[in-house]
Amino acid sequence: MNKSKFRIFSISLVALLFVTSSGLVFGGWYLKRLEETVTSKFEDPKWPLPGKIYSDSYLLYVGINLRIDDFKDKLRRLGYRETQTAPKAQGEYRYRQAPAVLQIYLHDFVYPAEAFKGFPVRIAFEGSVVSRIENDATGEEMFSLELEPELVTGLYDRTWQERRVVKLAEVPPLVVKAILAIEDERFYQHHGIDPVSVLRALWVNIRSGGVVQGGSTLTQQLMKNFFLGDERTLKRKIKEALMALIAERKYTKAEILENYLNEIYLGQRGSQGIYGVWEAAQFYFSKPLNELTVGETALLAGLIRAPNRLSPYRSVDAAVKRRNVVLAKLVEDKIITTRQYEAGLREKLLRRELIKVTNDAPFYVDFLRRELSENYSNTVLTAEGLRIFTSLDLQLQRIAERTLSEGLKKLEESYPNLRRKGEDDSLEGAIVVLRPQTGEIKAMVGGRSYQMSQFNRVFQAKRQPGSVFKPFVYLAALMSGAEGGKKFTPVTMLDDSPFVWDYDGQEWQPGNYNDEYFGTVTLRRALEKSLNSATARVARDVGIARVRDIAHRLGIQSSLPAVPSLALGAAEVTPLEVAVAFSTLANNGVRTRPLTVKQVMDANGHMLEKRDIRIEKVISPQMAFMMNNLLKGVLDRGTGEYARRWGFTRPAAGKTGTTNDYKDAWFVGYTPDLLAVVWVGFDNQTKLGLSGAQAALPIWTEFMKRATAGTPVTDFVPPPGIKIVDIDPLSGQLATANCPTVVHEAFIEGDEPTVTCPLHPGSSLQVSKSE
Amino acid sequence: MNFASTCNFFIVGLAAGMMIIFTQSCAPRPPYRPPAPPPASALPVTKPPSPVSPPPVQETVRKSLPQEPKIKEQDVRSKPLPPSVASKEVPKEPDLPTEPAAPPLPDDSSLLAKITPGTSPQRAASLRLTEEGRKLLDAGDPGKALTRLEKTIVIDSTNPYGYFYLAKAQYRLGQYKQSLNFLDVAESRLSAEPFWLAEVQALRGENYRALGMAQKAEASYAQALRLNSGNRTALEALSRLHESQPVAR
Repeated sequence: MNKSKFRIFSISLVALLFVTSSGLVFGGWYLKRLEETVTSKFEDPKWPLPGKIYSDSYLLYVGINLRIDDFKDKLRRLGYRETQTAPKAQGEYRYRQAPAVLQIYLHDFVYPAEAFKGFPVRIAFEGSVVSRIENDATGEEMFSLELEPELVTGLYDRTWQERRVVKLAEVPPLVVKAILAIEDERFYQHHGIDPVSVLRALWVNIRSGGVVQGGSTLTQQLMKNFFLGDERTLKRKIKEALMALIAERKYTKAEILENYLNEIYLGQRGSQGIYGVWEAAQFYFSKPLNELTVGETALLAGLIRAPNRLSPYRSVDAAVKRRNVVLAKLVEDKIITTRQYEAGLREKLLRRELIKVTNDAPFYVDFLRRELSENYSNTVLTAEGLRIFTSLDLQLQRIAERTLSEGLKKLEESYPNLRRKGEDDSLEGAIVVLRPQTGEIKAMVGGRSYQMSQFNRVFQAKRQPGSVFKPFVYLAALMSGAEGGKKFTPVTMLDDSPFVWDYDGQEWQPGNYNDEYFGTVTLRRALEKSLNSATARVARDVGIARVRDIAHRLGIQSSLPAVPSLALGAAEVTPLEVAVAFSTLANNGVRTRPLTVKQVMDANGHMLEKRDIRIEKVISPQMAFMMNNLLKGVLDRGTGEYARRWGFTRPAAGKTGTTNDYKDAWFVGYTPDLLAVVWVGFDNQTKLGLSGAQAALPIWTEFMKRATAGTPVTDFVPPPGIKIVDIDPLSGQLATANCPTVVHEAFIEGDEPTVTCPLHPGSSLQVSKSE
Repeated sequence: MNFASTCNFFIVGLAAGMMIIFTQSCAPRPPYRPPAPPPASALPVTKPPSPVSPPPVQETVRKSLPQEPKIKEQDVRSKPLPPSVASKEVPKEPDLPTEPAAPPLPDDSSLLAKITPGTSPQRAASLRLTEEGRKLLDAGDPGKALTRLEKTIVIDSTNPYGYFYLAKAQYRLGQYKQSLNFLDVAESRLSAEPFWLAEVQALRGENYRALGMAQKAEASYAQALRLNSGNRTALEALSRLHESQPVAR
């Protein structure tokens, strides 16, 4: 070897050594990095568990009026399926007519305070009324029954992975064996990659002329699902193989298998991905894993290859074919007996309807998230499997969504000038629904379309309430006499003529609608007809600071300037504040805290938080009753009387609201058990040109008609100390037999008039009632 | 008498005085007896309602209005109260009457007995749930009871017993102010039921006691006994109070 050749050889050798050692160093570093990645996934919490938001539960009791179609719809949404025979398994129900009987096999459900174990119940009807409830297994009579809450939506980051993590020991051996048989039969023989399987798959694919079989081991599949996407590149395959080898070196087969059984993707329900065998068993069969039949187990194992294409929700035939392939493999491998195989083949797979979780209450959920964010970070809410139980009534929510959307559309049809061209300039509206006794927010629609705008007008839009504010003025007036001020009763005569209010060196002149003045009117008539001039006079006499204090006491939280125009609703408030304030009246003077979140549970079933009903008596029940009685007149005779013509006939109180410049239209109204506030307007504060009675009242009426249908009719009950007297509405004195119209007026005992009507002389009518 | 004998005489006198005081303070106290009802002549004459001259009870209500927002049940009841209670002033030294008490009211605590064929389905269901809540309270599970009881007023917002037991659950959970708020509502709906009004007053007393407002508590207990001399909560609480207090107050 000459010198130059030796030199070349030496350089080559050094280069080779350098390249090799560099490669080894880089390879070592790369493997180390992969190992760290694998380790971190195995040893840190692996799966983000989305938070789940549930509606309020539904209480059924003997005597309740139930619309069976609505109830069946609810059962369907809860994942119950109708059967023709008596329900034998959880999640089944049967309805028979003549005699009407509903049999339900209830689901298990873990409530915050207790776990509920499902059992069969029988509900008998007389007409549409529940006449008897009994445990169908024991025959024991029951008087009420709680149906589990509905899942409203999940709180998640990027994707919603629905999964319940289980230990390997909790998975029945047959499920494990079936999955291994069909996905990786040499799982216990290989070390992460299986050359035998690869060669076999290669051979099968060459023969068939395409990719029909994969050679990936279960460990490789797990690595792919954990870290890698679906791209079919050599680089990914190599990485997957390396990771599989690392995982097999570091962890036991049992650990790898357990991770696989929890990680594997097994289907899709709308935005919810179904992951892991436990969740899949629930999704496809509504059963826990240990109750799966041989056929169901085979199908579950078979679905892994193509969960959506083979899903029984999509094609029963495809699912059955795949199940049979797995069954054949199981009997071939002697995992099941021939008898089990035949029984599995005979199992009937029924077509089931896929019920997607669609989040019908996006504005409510946003509001809820905002409330929850005070105590829980976004990571906790989206990844720690919290279960949040709320006050939401999905039935009312859907009615509210529908009536608002239809109502706004109708308004645009009736008043074409409301159709604006700009996308940001469409007619908007909001509804919020409260249960006055508890403060529970039962429904919330913050705008016309959540997709178009997530601005929640229920609590984010501060708008002038207009005449909706007037009841606070009149309440202050009724309370004034007792507080040492001027005394007012519902029949106090007020002057409704133009006047000027001098205030802090300024002048303010309130004007009536259409500049129409009515001279002398009773306090009731001034409120029913929403007369500005008379109301402003009352506010002046009572003191605007007192009016402001009353509004705050009832539940208005926004800052209210003590200026004369406050009496006519010139300060800005949100629909939610209006709802809270009026629910204090509906609840006999007891203010409630608005309630959305009722309980929060962690993933282990421990209660993290419970928010109770919070109440405070802020005005006397007598005063609240008198206001309710006055506001009933708004619907019966006043600016809200169209509600009656449109078919809402229940006892209810309410108030229209229109701002001076016609930018905002409001209606707040309530029965003793349900309150709804409707606002209509434009976000950019342009002129709507319609009154509350024209724009908001139709929507409110339609909502209340649908929301209260089938529920018991209730009226406001006068508390002790109230006297109800028949009054002539014009004179404000005791009605006589000759008075053409008579109003049942409520007074604090001793305040009622003593003189008979001078306008219609005659014999006095009897005093109606003394409570 | 020299100085030493003067001292001896003084010491013996002092010791004797102390002995007397000690003996008296150790002597058993007479048991607490509820206040007696006022003589019949003190009761207001209830006239039939008339638009011209309202009965005295109505007048009481009207006159009590300056105390907004707290119109209390005692203002609308027909029985007059001791001036200190009626005027909402807490008595500085509640007197212990020696006259015999009014007979105790019959036990009206059974909620299921209130369900009759004429009871509305809502009220019946609400009462049954209230009964369940009561049992949970008795079993020492106020948290679960509260959840159950909240449903009672959802089904029937006029069920006063639901409010009462909600107040009781809140009391057991240490939420005394909330308990008092629920009692306000229960009271306004129980005006015709002295047995239950007494229960309300007794529980109110328990809340005041827990809040450290001993005088208000004592007044509430006394009021409970005025309504029902057999109210055990009030009797026991007052006995405890008097046992724990020194003789000279």
